[in-house]
Amino acid sequence: MQLPESQVAVLEAANADEATPVDALAAATDLPPETVTGAAFELEEQGLVAVTERVDETISLTDEGRTYVEDGLPEVRLYEAALEAGADADPVPMGQVIGSSGLEGAEVDIALSNYARKGYGSIDSGEIMADPDADPAADPEANALESLADGGTLEAGDVLDQLERRGLAEVAESTIREVELTEQGVTELMAGVETAETVGQVTPELLTSGDWQDVEFAEYNVEADAETVEGGRVHVLREMSERVKDVLVGMGFEEMDGPHADADFWINDCLFMPQDHPARTHWDRFALEQPTHIDELPEDLVERVERAHREGVGEDGEGYHSPWDEDFARALALRGHTTSLSTRYLSGEEIGEIEPPARYFSVEKAYRNDTLDATHLLEFYQIEGWVMAEDLSVRDLMGTFEEFYAQFGIEDIQFKPHYNPYTEPSFELFGTHPTTGELIEIGNSGIFREEMLEPLGVDCDVMAWGLALERLAMLATGAEDIRDLHGTLADLEFLRNAEVTY
Amino acid sequence: MPTVDIDPDELRELTGHEEKSDEELQEELFGLGLEFEGWTEDDEFELEFAPDRLDRLSVEGVARSMRYQYGDARGVHVPSTNSAEWTIEVDESVPDERPYVTGAVIRDVDLDEDGLDSLIQLQEKLHATMGRKRAKGAIGIHDLTMLKGSPATEGNPTIRYVGVEPDGDRFVPLDSDAELTPAEVLEEHQTGREYAGLVSEYERYPAIYDDVGLFSFPPVINGRRTEVSTDSRDLFVEMTGTDQWTIDKMLNIVCYALAARGATLEDVRVEYPDSELVRPDLSTKTKRVAHDRIETLLGIDLDPDEVIDLAERSGLAATRSENEATGDDGSSITPLEDRDGLEERDSPTGSDESKAEGVSTDDLVYEVAIPPYRVDVLHPLDVIDDLGRAYGFNDLEPRYPEVGTVGGRHERSRLERAARTQLVGLGFEDMLNFHMIDEGQNYERLGVEPGTDAYGAGEPATIKEPYSEDYTMLRTWCLPSLLQVLENNTHRAYPQHLSEVGFAAELDETENTGVGEGRHVGAVLASHGSGYEDAKARLQALARDFDVELETPATEHPTFIPGRAADVVIDGEVVGVVGEIHPKVLVEHDLEVPVAAFEFDIEALR
Repeated sequence: MQLPESQVAVLEAANADEATPVDALAAATDLPPETVTGAAFELEEQGLVAVTERVDETISLTDEGRTYVEDGLPEVRLYEAALEAGADADPVPMGQVIGSSGLEGAEVDIALSNYARKGYGSIDSGEIMADPDADPAADPEANALESLADGGTLEAGDVLDQLERRGLAEVAESTIREVELTEQGVTELMAGVETAETVGQVTPELLTSGDWQDVEFAEYNVEADAETVEGGRVHVLREMSERVKDVLVGMGFEEMDGPHADADFWINDCLFMPQDHPARTHWDRFALEQPTHIDELPEDLVERVERAHREGVGEDGEGYHSPWDEDFARALALRGHTTSLSTRYLSGEEIGEIEPPARYFSVEKAYRNDTLDATHLLEFYQIEGWVMAEDLSVRDLMGTFEEFYAQFGIEDIQFKPHYNPYTEPSFELFGTHPTTGELIEIGNSGIFREEMLEPLGVDCDVMAWGLALERLAMLATGAEDIRDLHGTLADLEFLRNAEVTY
Repeated sequence: MPTVDIDPDELRELTGHEEKSDEELQEELFGLGLEFEGWTEDDEFELEFAPDRLDRLSVEGVARSMRYQYGDARGVHVPSTNSAEWTIEVDESVPDERPYVTGAVIRDVDLDEDGLDSLIQLQEKLHATMGRKRAKGAIGIHDLTMLKGSPATEGNPTIRYVGVEPDGDRFVPLDSDAELTPAEVLEEHQTGREYAGLVSEYERYPAIYDDVGLFSFPPVINGRRTEVSTDSRDLFVEMTGTDQWTIDKMLNIVCYALAARGATLEDVRVEYPDSELVRPDLSTKTKRVAHDRIETLLGIDLDPDEVIDLAERSGLAATRSENEATGDDGSSITPLEDRDGLEERDSPTGSDESKAEGVSTDDLVYEVAIPPYRVDVLHPLDVIDDLGRAYGFNDLEPRYPEVGTVGGRHERSRLERAARTQLVGLGFEDMLNFHMIDEGQNYERLGVEPGTDAYGAGEPATIKEPYSEDYTMLRTWCLPSLLQVLENNTHRAYPQHLSEVGFAAELDETENTGVGEGRHVGAVLASHGSGYEDAKARLQALARDFDVELETPATEHPTFIPGRAADVVIDGEVVGVVGEIHPKVLVEHDLEVPVAAFEFDIEALR
């Protein structure tokens, strides 16, 4: 059978022939007596030992008792002084005897009150008589004190009672437990007893029975690794997206939503991208085979956009010297950037006219028909944001983006003048990698051109920027292959071990 | 982004700054927006450029910009041209698709190997950018001495732009020894095959003749007879295209580049059947730019003289508009023929001496002259951008705009987040899969027939000419993606409880785009002992979380084991499917554990 370690020790130390006191077992097992007692009761419950209890009395001398062992009992000393004074023949005055006895203070009273009681003589009218037949050497009380002082004991009885009453000895009671192997215990020992774990699990029984007070809880290796737990968790890229959204909402941006498959009109024409721009015919565009064209576009908007492309905007404006065809604009594609959401919102088509000031954002998918490798995906999340207000300046743009990137620990933004067909001025944004210190491109930005805004019916300034969420996530998580993060090639191990982003 | 190769030695020579180190040059080029990408095999800088300043596609143009940056040049410089001797006559037979031509004569060029390489690179880069791979504009450069033009009128030599029969006259094209007809060039010549698509649909092919015969077959190839070499002294540049403005601008850029090497420009008459042009057109263009707009856009206060100085340093020329009376004629500066060599002026930054007291700049407008090589200035805004670059955008102090707005999430995005949070609480690992997939993965491998009633069997929105056969359509449901993740992770620890709140789309005629786009809640439970009840239990938990009523009447679905599949009915509507995945689907995905799954439209949780 299996028993906890302390029980095994007690069982092995106990004897079938005679009861062993707990103290002896404690000494034998090198366990604290309380532990031995607890183990003994556990063993008794299982019928392996019998525990007997008796109450033991221990008698000990008081300080006064010990003094009398040295000096002799006061009544005895009085008797001896009385004999000297010849009180065995004639009465002797009390004062004389006491003086010669050396008794002082309280001892005098004690001597007098016990003198007659114990038959040493009599006291009458201030005179003392001594019984010549009395034997101080046989004084039972004195002998009992002597014996106790020598470590002896004393049977219960009149003498003990007297000593107790006189405050010369004290009696203390203690419970002595003794343990004896039962037959079953012997049998189990013969069969072999192994050390079992002590109590591991806290069970309802343990709690309700109150046994938890007596049991020994197994000690665990609290430093050891525990088993691996795979709880549910949010995708690491999604965490990053949520963080970006938190930041933008905190900066006063409202979220946009709109179609993934959209007309080129919204994706490019409204952005003042000429129809023969290389990006529009480039093979990286995901044109749709089915369906091919959007059903309807807002007619007056189409007219205004076409005019901007052909003639430009404003008294000194010039258009592109490029063809423009509505059918081409109606062709459907998977959006190559989420700026199609911005054009839809700015046009008033999506949620009605937007009055300045306004801030809008999205963190949504864009599609590029590009080579799939460690840093490029066919689908990626684009962070897109714009601010609409009167008289926005390049400095406002810089201030806004510095604030945004600072939220991600990217300081010291550099603004490199750049070219986009739909913004002027335009800037590529560079930041310093927090760990490598490398200067990396982290976004593209600018102030929307009037050729874009005027047809959309916007007559104040709009500044905008965009960047790939994956780029931010790779910076933040240290991921080296974007495919581990995103898509069906995802490695669950990687996702399970990825550091939480917050 | 496109790149251009620049020889740093040539750059030093053309800018007159022999002392500049390679590193200094690279840094200064970065300031112009030309990013150093590395060295070429010929020890040249490979520079990446944004495709707006197409006048910087060769070392000559880059050197010009750097001279403005250094302050060695100011204002607008227009080279002079000698009057026309040569004429290009445009014949009625020219193909309607490519009706326009332009040209110039360049004399006294001194082309060494580097100069010739630079000219060829400029031609190629212009073809690739403005020329839209020669479709919109194509350049032919010829050795003038090899051309024979009969004096059609008053002794002026003439070449003719005509349309010819594909199998008509023969000529010897560049890089060939054989006499070929244009049609044969398209079939037999390497360059011909490359550009055949540009003209093969034409009834007649474009061709240019002199007295000797056909010497150019634009936009495909020139003839060998007029090939330019380092010995060439005089050049004839012709360009054809679909837009007159475009080829004229391309011509200007080439003329400026050659003039920078000391050549003399000479006009060419272009005679259309009903009109006549003189080219190159090196006239400047004017934009009116309001002072106020400059200040608001840059976010700084500027002195009018400072604006004029910034313009000059940008290679522009700004004058106060005559339409507004300033009473201050001292600041008016006319376009300069050539300010090179003039003593350097102090930067007016911080100099207030010319700022007349009390003169308001509220209505101040500048007339800004734009040099003829600039193709990117469409609007006054583009001028302000130039002024900002000259000022130094990085010298501007960022400021956070004092504009108060209220932020918030889109309702759909909040709903998705809530669903995702509940799924994660139920122990699912959140997935993020591609929206694109192929038909095999989306339908076949799950046993589903497209266009049937089964959940997920909707007709797909498909990609035209897909780059990868793995991504040919938008997925109609999420389960195929989730099963693929299971398939790719069979070596990873189970259980694998995966979920996705993701995009799915199918054809829908009632939508304006023809595509019905939605978000689905999909989940798979893969582990030893996974069963229908595990999926249903979690589905029930979701329904309870969102306080909707869930029913699961038995259904048949080819992806699931018969008798262990049910419709997901929420608040009385069929919105999805739940069940145990059929062994044939499991085996197809190399799975060796049972998988229970569900998927439904998230709109049902609203």
